Amino acid sequence: MTTASLRGGPEPSARAAVVSVPAPAIRRSWWRTHTAQRHIFGYTLLAPAALYVLLLVGAPFLFSLWLAVSDANVGDPVAHFIGLENFRSAWEMDVFWIALRNSIVFLVVAAIFKSLLGTSLAFLLLQNFRGKKLIRALVVIPFTLPVAISVLSWKWMYDSQFSVINWVLSRLGLIGTYGSESWPVWLGQPALALPACIAVNVWRTFPFSAIVLLAGFTAVPLEVLDAAKVDGCTFFQRFRHIVAPMIFPILMIGFLFDTVFTLSDLSVVYLLTQGGPANASKILPVLAYQIGIQAGNLGRGAAIAMMLVPLLLPAMFLLLRNLKRREW
Amino acid sequence: MAPRTQREKTIRRHVAIYAGLAPFLLIAVFPIYWMAITAFKQDPDLYRMDHIPFWFNMAPTLKHFQTLFYQTNYGAWIINTMTISAWVALITLLTAVPAGYALARLRLAGSENLGIAIFMTYLVPGIILFLPLSRVVASLGLQDSWWALVLVYPTFTIPFCTWLMMGFFKTVPMEMEEAARVDGCGQLGALIRVVLPVSLPGILTSVIFAFTLSMQDFLYGLAFVSPGDQKPVPVGVPTELIRGDVYYWGSIMAAVLLVGLPVAILYNFFLDRFIQGITGGVVK
Repeated sequence: MTTASLRGGPEPSARAAVVSVPAPAIRRSWWRTHTAQRHIFGYTLLAPAALYVLLLVGAPFLFSLWLAVSDANVGDPVAHFIGLENFRSAWEMDVFWIALRNSIVFLVVAAIFKSLLGTSLAFLLLQNFRGKKLIRALVVIPFTLPVAISVLSWKWMYDSQFSVINWVLSRLGLIGTYGSESWPVWLGQPALALPACIAVNVWRTFPFSAIVLLAGFTAVPLEVLDAAKVDGCTFFQRFRHIVAPMIFPILMIGFLFDTVFTLSDLSVVYLLTQGGPANASKILPVLAYQIGIQAGNLGRGAAIAMMLVPLLLPAMFLLLRNLKRREW
Repeated sequence: MAPRTQREKTIRRHVAIYAGLAPFLLIAVFPIYWMAITAFKQDPDLYRMDHIPFWFNMAPTLKHFQTLFYQTNYGAWIINTMTISAWVALITLLTAVPAGYALARLRLAGSENLGIAIFMTYLVPGIILFLPLSRVVASLGLQDSWWALVLVYPTFTIPFCTWLMMGFFKTVPMEMEEAARVDGCGQLGALIRVVLPVSLPGILTSVIFAFTLSMQDFLYGLAFVSPGDQKPVPVGVPTELIRGDVYYWGSIMAAVLLVGLPVAILYNFFLDRFIQGITGGVVK
């Protein structure tokens, strides 16, 4: 069938090729069929979105691969192929390994805290009580506030002298007064800078964890649970065989999304500490930005950004599998 | 006797739940409260540690807002943000709505994989794309203008909204369209006259997301737009209002409050749609 020629080629170019070929008689009659009309109409509607994404996500991604193996920099627009030189020089930088370690620590520690907080919040919000809607709306504000904006609010709360957190701790007698040894400078002390950044990420995303979990729970039909109860299933059997399998895919997707966003987000750390002091809170995205844009070394910056890919790929792969299993 | 104990039980349960929720409410809302009170405090009230800082120790003031509008580019940033969002929403609508419809309705060969492929591009992080995109922006002569952001923001709004519209169009009954076809509408006619009008809520949702997702960006704005009067709010505030080591906290908090709060409230109403969108419509 001639549809086969279309089946493999959803790209607009394939369709264009079919159109431009002077159509033989048989093909012309095929043109008029309902299926063909529908496909032409469909791919035409799809083309603008597909082209946009192809040109501004697909092509830049490939270009990024090229930059990573070239000596491109801002001053010299003509780039030459230099193989894995950028990766090698990245591996020789101490700061690269610090950033890699910090990125992983950031991801894991934040994930632990936001799942703990998110789960407890979700269980509370599952209950029926007065004012639930209002409380839910208030609790999710950290997630709905634009990130750059909420980070600034934290930067002020972490202020070295007028930190409201320190004010409370000081009044409680947990720390000394300003200027004393035990006065924490959240963003200025190497031991505190990364935890301070992680705390902001947890604050921003625990409502997301809670809402995803809630969405999972509400997807479990109550009739099925009741039926199982009638049939004599224990609470754990019901959880193990009905609730868990139903909420797991949703939870997984939420978790994977969060992994991708947390790993690749630069705004929290960049706005709070720029990776300082002394690289204590440097993560890969911040390093890639500083080397690629601020130092103008596009090639090396792209290589460092590319080092996120091995970390992201497992998450993307799992996500793809989950989405493919979705019911259509 | 029975109703009283029943009532006691309910009250006790409520108290337990509220007690559990209180810490969450506190950590979620306090930074916003702190933002708001800082924006209205006088400077001498702001920078002192001997008073209780949670309320005004001196009369509230609008001075920080005046500084913002008269001595900075804040007004321009708001206009930039709105204009960028409007363009992004327009581009997103013109591409994502037809694409979502085609993928959901027209039984195209490979439409499922295509839909997933487009959605997956939403996950390609900006940190991998921003260096090559900076070249694209420069070669189009858009560097140092907010038009650069109009060009790049659709790279994440189109995938997300296509996916959203796909899910949405699936819920529109096929019969409506078929009836229109029987009545003599062409394919395009059925789409424009019958499907689009009933899909208005979905289209509105897409517009909202084009706006709120644009507001979430920081990296592209930071990397592509450097002139002070071209920035959107989330980039302008941290880069222009922080000068060296001097922080104008009153003005900074006023600036973020004024823009952040409406966006947060708007997003709040559509949060469930967002979660539904990314969990792939598993949730009904």
